[in-house]
Amino acid sequence: MRKLYSCLCLFLLVSGHTLLAQGNGPGVRGARAAALGNSSVTISDVWAIGNNVAGLGQLTQPTIGFYAENRFLSRAFNTAALVAAFPLGPLANGKPKSGVVGFEAQRFGDKLYSEQRLGVGYGYRGSLVSIGARLDVLQVSIERLGSRRTAALSLGGQAEIIPKQLVLGAYLYNLNQAKLAEYQDERVPTVLKAGLSYRPNNKLMLNLETEKDVEQSADFKAGIEYRLLEALALRAGFATLTEQTTAGLGFQAGHLQIEYAAAWQTVLGLSQHLAISLRLDAK
Amino acid sequence: MSRKLMHRLAAFLGLFLSIVPALQAQEYVRPAADLDRLVQELFAEIQSDQVPYEDVYETLLQYYQTPLNLNTATREELRSLLLLSEAQISALLHHREQVGMLLSMYELQSIDGFDLRSIYRVAPFATVLDGIVGGNRGPLWQRVLQEDNNALLVRYERVLQQRKGYTAPDTTSTGRLTSRYAGSPDKLLVRYRVSHAHDFSFGFTAEKDAGEAFSWNPGSRRYGADFYSAHFVVHERGRLKTLALGDYQLQFGQGLLLSSGFQVGKGAETITSIRRSNVGVRPYSSVLENSFFRGAAATFSLSKTLQATAFASWKKVDASIQTSTDSLAEFDEFSSGVLLTGLHRTTTDLANRKDLRELISGGNFTYTSRNSNFSAGLTAVDTHFDKAILRRSEPYNAFEFRGMHNLAVSTHYSYVLHNALLFGETARSSGGGWGTVNGVLASLASNVDASVLYRRYTRDFHTFYGNALSENTRNINESGLYMGLKMRPLYKWEISAYYDQFRFSWLKYQIGAPSQGHDWLLRVAFSPSKTSLLYAQMRLRVKDHDGDLDPVRPVPVPTERRSVLLFYDANPSAALSLRTRLQGTHYRENDGPRRAGYVLAQDVTVAVVPRVQLSARYALFDTDDYDTRQYVFERDVLYAFSVPPLYGQGTRVYALAEVKCSRHLTLWLRYDETHYRHHATIGSGLEEIQGPRRSQVKMQVRYKI
Repeated sequence: MRKLYSCLCLFLLVSGHTLLAQGNGPGVRGARAAALGNSSVTISDVWAIGNNVAGLGQLTQPTIGFYAENRFLSRAFNTAALVAAFPLGPLANGKPKSGVVGFEAQRFGDKLYSEQRLGVGYGYRGSLVSIGARLDVLQVSIERLGSRRTAALSLGGQAEIIPKQLVLGAYLYNLNQAKLAEYQDERVPTVLKAGLSYRPNNKLMLNLETEKDVEQSADFKAGIEYRLLEALALRAGFATLTEQTTAGLGFQAGHLQIEYAAAWQTVLGLSQHLAISLRLDAK
Repeated sequence: MSRKLMHRLAAFLGLFLSIVPALQAQEYVRPAADLDRLVQELFAEIQSDQVPYEDVYETLLQYYQTPLNLNTATREELRSLLLLSEAQISALLHHREQVGMLLSMYELQSIDGFDLRSIYRVAPFATVLDGIVGGNRGPLWQRVLQEDNNALLVRYERVLQQRKGYTAPDTTSTGRLTSRYAGSPDKLLVRYRVSHAHDFSFGFTAEKDAGEAFSWNPGSRRYGADFYSAHFVVHERGRLKTLALGDYQLQFGQGLLLSSGFQVGKGAETITSIRRSNVGVRPYSSVLENSFFRGAAATFSLSKTLQATAFASWKKVDASIQTSTDSLAEFDEFSSGVLLTGLHRTTTDLANRKDLRELISGGNFTYTSRNSNFSAGLTAVDTHFDKAILRRSEPYNAFEFRGMHNLAVSTHYSYVLHNALLFGETARSSGGGWGTVNGVLASLASNVDASVLYRRYTRDFHTFYGNALSENTRNINESGLYMGLKMRPLYKWEISAYYDQFRFSWLKYQIGAPSQGHDWLLRVAFSPSKTSLLYAQMRLRVKDHDGDLDPVRPVPVPTERRSVLLFYDANPSAALSLRTRLQGTHYRENDGPRRAGYVLAQDVTVAVVPRVQLSARYALFDTDDYDTRQYVFERDVLYAFSVPPLYGQGTRVYALAEVKCSRHLTLWLRYDETHYRHHATIGSGLEEIQGPRRSQVKMQVRYKI
């Protein structure tokens, strides 16, 4: 067992601090979030299942999505995720009466080292406040050394300080401080994020966010989204801790939403994110 | 007459325009006081656990729990609310004079300078009644029996982990046993109080701190619990304005000689909180074991404009008494000072318990002009100890009080000139030391207020119960100039700022030369609605401190502490309240490395059913060292105040339940836990805990009789 963890430590060391969000942390979900420097705690799309589960509550149609990420052009750092969200009950005042339930399956890594996640989340929107909760089953596998499994509970909230204009979001990932191993008291990161989003009109969104992992320095993130056309959005952002600058595009084609983002880290280079989501007609 | 009519008309107009349904309009429903939020505004940033916040908080709470009657309140009482500007107070008094008593809270809207924001702020703490104090009252015992504000409170708390002080003692190499606490880790508080504003207040308090033992030993003056307090206060008995027997507190002038727990000092409320109110004799029911008076005090009104107060206090305080070995020494027995912790857990604590007798007497005359614009007074305080006080002979103690006797005399004044309030106090203590505080609060425009305060306390100025505005914890060896500003440039925005510059002309503990510093704060607050608040606050404090560069001959170097606070508070529905707080600090000694502290906290309060309210917080903290430690205000059981220091890396959670079991009975339950990462032990000395967690439970019951 000792070997497994020294191997794991080595891996984390080699991968450097740009991988802080990994290691079973909350991570990035969707190319929209990635393009905004991952300042995504106030956003309410299908990817909210991973970014801030409270945002799920605003979905009005069943939605499925696929997300792929490649970091630094290395195959070992690939992430793939499948998500699905289903509103429960009839719509009332433009929101599902009984909230929205979401599912996620995610995998990071390759044959040698991988992390898997199965998540189920629920989001509910009140008049100006949304709340959500999520349960993850996490697994770390290292080839020939075996695997470890644990469960993490997360809570999220979003509040409209000024309706539709100023939104605050907070997301607490892994509040139970799930333990991966006794050795060196290794735990899944406990992360608290909080951020503000200013949306002066329906074209522009400015996001500011801070994220804190108990054991890492604080991250400050900012993002801007400008909807140039009804069907085209431009995005840019940065994150201070990982020293990444990001940019991206989003296309809307009927029920299909296609998003792409690129992130640049001075030392490690380019990462790319692609997300596709499809809204299904409600029954 | 036409003017009066106009005002009435305006008042009624306001009444009909208000959103409250017409049926309720006659009786304004007093909104619940959000004291937590008030505390956020008053204590901008808590930087130390040395300041008795608990006591200040409790005094404020007691004060705000009995609403002020806007129809009978004096100018001084209105000022002491800390929520109204001098211009608003003058406008209200003028209105009362011109039009007569207010008919309802809604009438405030017709008074100049009262915007909705100020009305909402004041509303929870004020009422409009036409009752005149001293009207047809029955006998006192009947009024006491009928009083609603009558409650018994029992609080219990305990740290769950085993601390070193409660384990079996070790044997040292000399065969002696190491020190351990005498009692159990339970902390108990029992308090009963019945009171009515302007009429009476009776109460008693008993407390046992964690580690203290219950013991009945009249020889060493221990009767069960470690600390008891009781008071009997009546007000407005003809010429006798106030009579206090038992434990009481006093506040006169700017608090240079006598100051009760009723002050908050430098904070985000940059204007009103720098002035002290002349509130006189007040009952004491808190649990700080040394800073109150025990005996009797009385205030008489000699004429309509002149009031006289006399008081005497006799109590024993904690001190470590030493016997002089030198037969030629000035004093045979002396103490290095009064011990203020109030904890009696170890044999050393118990040996020092109540070893010094303190006799304090004095009085005050205050003249208040008929229109209450001008007031002035004279205060004298005589302190006598039965054993001499001699501080350790260190250079920084060279001008500290020594001896057995101190007499201090002061004059204070307060004068309203147009839109400005001038106030001050100047005092002299025996030995020639003197201190002075003088200030102005001015309403420069309807939306701009400013304040200036100058203070100077010489290095040999000695008071024992003074606490005028200062950077030091005591009023000695300091001079400084404070300037505050508060603006409301737009309807929902408020900007407050202060700048304070100070100098210490003599050495201080761990500062081996005369030193100086400054401190500023800027807060921008935005309240998008009545129930939500968003603010950003920046604060910088530069203060000299002995550097680590040369341990043999330390030289004071400037140390810089920058802090940023972002706070969001919203009540999206009546049952739900959300608070997010981000706090960060940079600390740097001279040109040394910059160290940082960070806290992110999320609070939720939910009223599950009307009788049950649950609050919880999850916070993550990460600080480089103890200098960058963070204090974050936490919700606690009623009357308790909690700001634990957070340092290192970890999480802090708490959950608090408030259950109103019946009209009489309210129950509080609280659990909190700090979980440190990478710590094998927490704390030091007898407080040391093995393991990374420190958790505490608290239970409180209040029975309203």
